Amino acid sequence: MASEASLPSVLAPPGAKGMWLVCLKRYGWWGLLAPALLLYALVFFLPLSVLVADSLHPSGAADLSLANYNAFFTDGITLSIFLRTVRLALFVTLACLVFGYPLALFMRRAGPAMRMVALTIVVSPLLTSVIVRNVAWLLVLGREGMVNTLLRNAGLIDGPLPLLYNTFGVVVGVTHVYLAFLVLPVFSALLAIDPSTEQAAASLGASRFTVFRRVTLPMSMAGVIAGSTLVFVLTMGVYLTPVIMGGSFVTTLPMVMTDLVRTQFDFSRAAAFGVMLLVFITAILIASSRAEKRIEQMRGEMP
Amino acid sequence: MSETRIGLFVGSIASLVMVFLVLPQVILLVQSFTAEDYLSFPPRLALVIGTAAAIGLDRGPMVLRKAMRTALVSPMILPHVVLGMAIYRVFLPIRFDDTVTGFLIAHLVLCVPYVIVTVGASLQGMDRSLEQAAVSLGASVPMALWRVVLPLIRPGLIGGAVFAFITSFDEFIVTYFLASRQTTAPIQIFSSLSYQLEPSIAAVSGLTLVVTAALCGLLILRGGMAGTARVA
Repeated sequence: MASEASLPSVLAPPGAKGMWLVCLKRYGWWGLLAPALLLYALVFFLPLSVLVADSLHPSGAADLSLANYNAFFTDGITLSIFLRTVRLALFVTLACLVFGYPLALFMRRAGPAMRMVALTIVVSPLLTSVIVRNVAWLLVLGREGMVNTLLRNAGLIDGPLPLLYNTFGVVVGVTHVYLAFLVLPVFSALLAIDPSTEQAAASLGASRFTVFRRVTLPMSMAGVIAGSTLVFVLTMGVYLTPVIMGGSFVTTLPMVMTDLVRTQFDFSRAAAFGVMLLVFITAILIASSRAEKRIEQMRGEMP
Repeated sequence: MSETRIGLFVGSIASLVMVFLVLPQVILLVQSFTAEDYLSFPPRLALVIGTAAAIGLDRGPMVLRKAMRTALVSPMILPHVVLGMAIYRVFLPIRFDDTVTGFLIAHLVLCVPYVIVTVGASLQGMDRSLEQAAVSLGASVPMALWRVVLPLIRPGLIGGAVFAFITSFDEFIVTYFLASRQTTAPIQIFSSLSYQLEPSIAAVSGLTLVVTAALCGLLILRGGMAGTARVA
């Protein structure tokens, strides 16, 4: 908006120096962007293009072939692992919604000090090392871990509950970190709601639940969609937590890809699976941004 | 005479045993930090590159701005497994894998997006009129950027630095692809995890946690105080 206004439009002195300034004005911003663009070109876009190219040349074959992509659907195991990864991501997203939305609601109502404390707690898993976090969960959820010991001492269970090395354990571990990615967008969407809208609904006789269902929830929907998309997409690419907390009992697509590269040296197949993952994620992101836009439009049409 | 001798003897044996007990953990820690030594570099460089890019995006050409922003932020969302594989594939022929330089460059591309996002947010919240005032009083644009804009977006710079540091310090999968002999703390701990969950791992993990937390706290505290001092 104000980007032109920030440039001195009348100060250019005449002569060679003036030319230099004009050049700087026109291309200077590109100069600021240049290091980042160069870095990305070399370490981001080039590797990804090579990845796509490799995926079309199954293990050293010279001519193009879709065999690797074919394998994704027909080798009998990859597709089911992919679907299980999707399921895991759905579980995590659902858990984040169930635990995160009420937390965001609470943070909206809370006073500034409490809000700061809650915000710090929500962000704290992001500031902790992945490995440290997972080791801590191993100590909490293990057979002899805190939860099982407490439950057994309370006499509620006889044998230890299987809390670790299954989907449950992985969902707990992943939800722990990615909760922040849901809470923050939902919180900011909730903050943007004018409280008088809710008061108006309440004064017209709506019960508290109706106010929530008909006013608060719809108006925070953009945040909900943004947050759950982020959580879902990030979970699709998660590697370390399933490895540590799932043992060998939970397999995700990123684990398959890592295994293909590091132990089977079949880079082109792993590349094809990676491209499939990227395509899937991009589709989700596009769908979600469409949905958000539509919600924005609907809000715009409201008086 | 023998009393003190025996005391000395027992004492030295005891200290040797204690050293024996503690040594592996200390070595793990020290080793991980020597590797991290190099890795304190990417966050700083990422801060410079990212801040420049954020300012360029904010003030620069309108053409392609949205596409460029999306492209520059995309490493945040892209699964790191895919990126790690791809970078490994490109680094392998030029023998950049398993080198500190390789780690550094790979970490850089992971850190820069965080800086761009936090600094970009600060830039949008900044009062433009201060910068315009500086320019109208005769400051050149670079001068206004350096003396007015950068101090004003200090909180964003610090936030970006913290996130970049954590990303690099904690990065696992990309380094895991690249590394075979060179390692970083997360990979060290991970490879010892594959055998058994030892108490020493918990101890080292705890220490890592304390170091990260202390560093973040320090950065945030210093930044926060400096930020308010500047504004006030």
